[in-house]
Amino acid sequence: MARLKPGPTIVVVALLGLALSQPAAQSRSSTSGPTRQLTDITGRTVTLPSRVTRVADPWHANNGMILMMGGANKIVATTMQAKKQPWFRKLHPRIENVPAAFDEAGEVNIETLIGTRPDVVLMAYGGTLPRWKATADTYGIPVFMMPNTSLADLKTTARMTGEVLGPSESARAAEWIRYFDDNIRRVTAETSRIPASERPRVLHTATGTILTIDGQKTVIDDWITVAGGVNAATVVSNARPVSMEQIAAWNPDVIIVGTAPNEENRRAILNDPRWSQIKAVRTGRVYVNPSGVYLWDRHSAEAALQVLWAAKTLHPNRFPDLDLKKETKAFYAKFFNYTLSDAEYSAIMRAAAS
Amino acid sequence: MIRRAILLALPFLLLFLSLFVGRLDVGPGDVLRIVASQIFPITRSWPEAVETIVVQIRLPRALMAMCVGAGLSISGAAFQGMFRNPLVSPDVLGVSAASGFGAALAILLSRSSVELQIIAFAFGLLGVAITYMLARVYQTTPVLMLVLSGVVVAAFFSALLSGVKFVADPENTLPAITYWLLGSFNAATLRTVVVVVPAIAAGTIGLLLVSWKLNLLSMGDEDARALGVRTERLKAAIVVCTTLITSAAVSTSGVIGWVGLVMPHVARTIVGPDHRYLLPASLSVGASYLLVIDGIARSAVAVEIPIGILTAVIGAPYFAYLLRRTNGTWQ
Repeated sequence: MARLKPGPTIVVVALLGLALSQPAAQSRSSTSGPTRQLTDITGRTVTLPSRVTRVADPWHANNGMILMMGGANKIVATTMQAKKQPWFRKLHPRIENVPAAFDEAGEVNIETLIGTRPDVVLMAYGGTLPRWKATADTYGIPVFMMPNTSLADLKTTARMTGEVLGPSESARAAEWIRYFDDNIRRVTAETSRIPASERPRVLHTATGTILTIDGQKTVIDDWITVAGGVNAATVVSNARPVSMEQIAAWNPDVIIVGTAPNEENRRAILNDPRWSQIKAVRTGRVYVNPSGVYLWDRHSAEAALQVLWAAKTLHPNRFPDLDLKKETKAFYAKFFNYTLSDAEYSAIMRAAAS
Repeated sequence: MIRRAILLALPFLLLFLSLFVGRLDVGPGDVLRIVASQIFPITRSWPEAVETIVVQIRLPRALMAMCVGAGLSISGAAFQGMFRNPLVSPDVLGVSAASGFGAALAILLSRSSVELQIIAFAFGLLGVAITYMLARVYQTTPVLMLVLSGVVVAAFFSALLSGVKFVADPENTLPAITYWLLGSFNAATLRTVVVVVPAIAAGTIGLLLVSWKLNLLSMGDEDARALGVRTERLKAAIVVCTTLITSAAVSTSGVIGWVGLVMPHVARTIVGPDHRYLLPASLSVGASYLLVIDGIARSAVAVEIPIGILTAVIGAPYFAYLLRRTNGTWQ
């Protein structure tokens, strides 16, 4: 029998060794440094480097929250949707060069993700851990889950995001939560006194081309309640398809159009004979929901403004002193360090891309 | 004779009954008076909102369900004859996949529902045109080549569709695309009915005119040619008619599976395999079926049930039953 030649054997063994050592070789230097532990929404204890400098965020909306906290420079992997948001690009042009490691459903290109050497992946928790969690574990990438189905969840997520990012972001998040709570208090001080009979029934549309509606147990349902309205939709969860006749049966007092192109979708509703007998259309109470760094009506920093806008829109007579333009400009100056022009303000109110 | 009378009357009876069904409680008397007032001068004794429900919402929707059901069903019957295969459905040439891609693209780009229909219709035609050209061999289009080309085109457009879904926003655009693909008549307005019905009617009349030749074609191309049928022209005519129908149907109501596949079999059990009777019977059976199914979809629960789910849940078991009963011989 021919003896095994030593040359090729050594090469094969060396290659195998190299392949097996790959995860270790690729893992970040920070694991070797000091660490700290945080508990995420699933109750898992997640070990993070004490100084987090690189985060991956597959949650479009939460990218805007990080921007608000002044931590946008730490984003090393994001989504296509976040990169496309015009206001986000304007306030943080460097997002252009950040790879979109995640697809629109939160699935990941694991090699791109590893290549960006993130300290942590921040994710929305929808009841399941991502499928690629085990792979992330192998490479020592912590995955931190946060909640996303109510206004309270939004605040929890802001607090958690701040804690993960570091002291300065955490302080900023706390400041934002205070501002948000102040606004909720300011609005509910008035709206809590409104009797049930005077609370308008509000329909919030999620998509226009194919009509879908935002139902109960959502962020949208929460701010409608805070603003002194009642969600007209009895279905549960976001973007549910409903028939025209069901909408006629709900017969909402107010319609808020929540999707781009909002203004076109609003006109489509006003011009469609099927909508003509709906109370909101007959009384001219069909509004476009504002949209800036992110959609005001969903998980966003501007949700703090949304409660003011919705309250003023639903009950204009009850909030005579509420100057939305002033509030909005002050908010963008304070939380995004941006001086909003009048033209930009009205573009945001029309949900137009500035 | 009685059978034919029932087949003729059933869809219209169901269309009429559809006006009484919905999420909103509208008194049957009001519905009757509103229907009558469209023809006779009756002074209005009901709220205008109720008239909107019946005339602007229920009527267009029921008309659309009826026409799409009839169209998909007769297309399926014609294709099953032409391909000499009982497993063929109207989207065998890739029309649904191509149309679906067009619609998804329109939703992704936030186009209006009218633009969506135009884009979906155009892509449906394009898909079948590609299939037909791929299948041309020496001036002929062998049935096997048509089927295989259809598979290729459908696979290609399905991949493009997945690409669109991949980049769609999961918060709103992606669910909209998913719902659209499952099918719904919610977008039906009187205006869309006026545009779509002539397209479906034209294709249907075309198919009815050639229905007797389908009997010859179903014996095979060579035998049909021997009997003097110009098979290539006939096949082209059938492809054009069915494509017109299915593109129009898919572009307005999404991909509604199983109707075009199963309904011709139901019709066959009633009138037998002769295409002169099978095609009109398929029209009636398909129209009646979708009228009933859409009645359930729009009135069972508050959320609109995607109609494609209902047709598959009911259609697949029925198909399985037929398969077992005939032991695969389809007699």
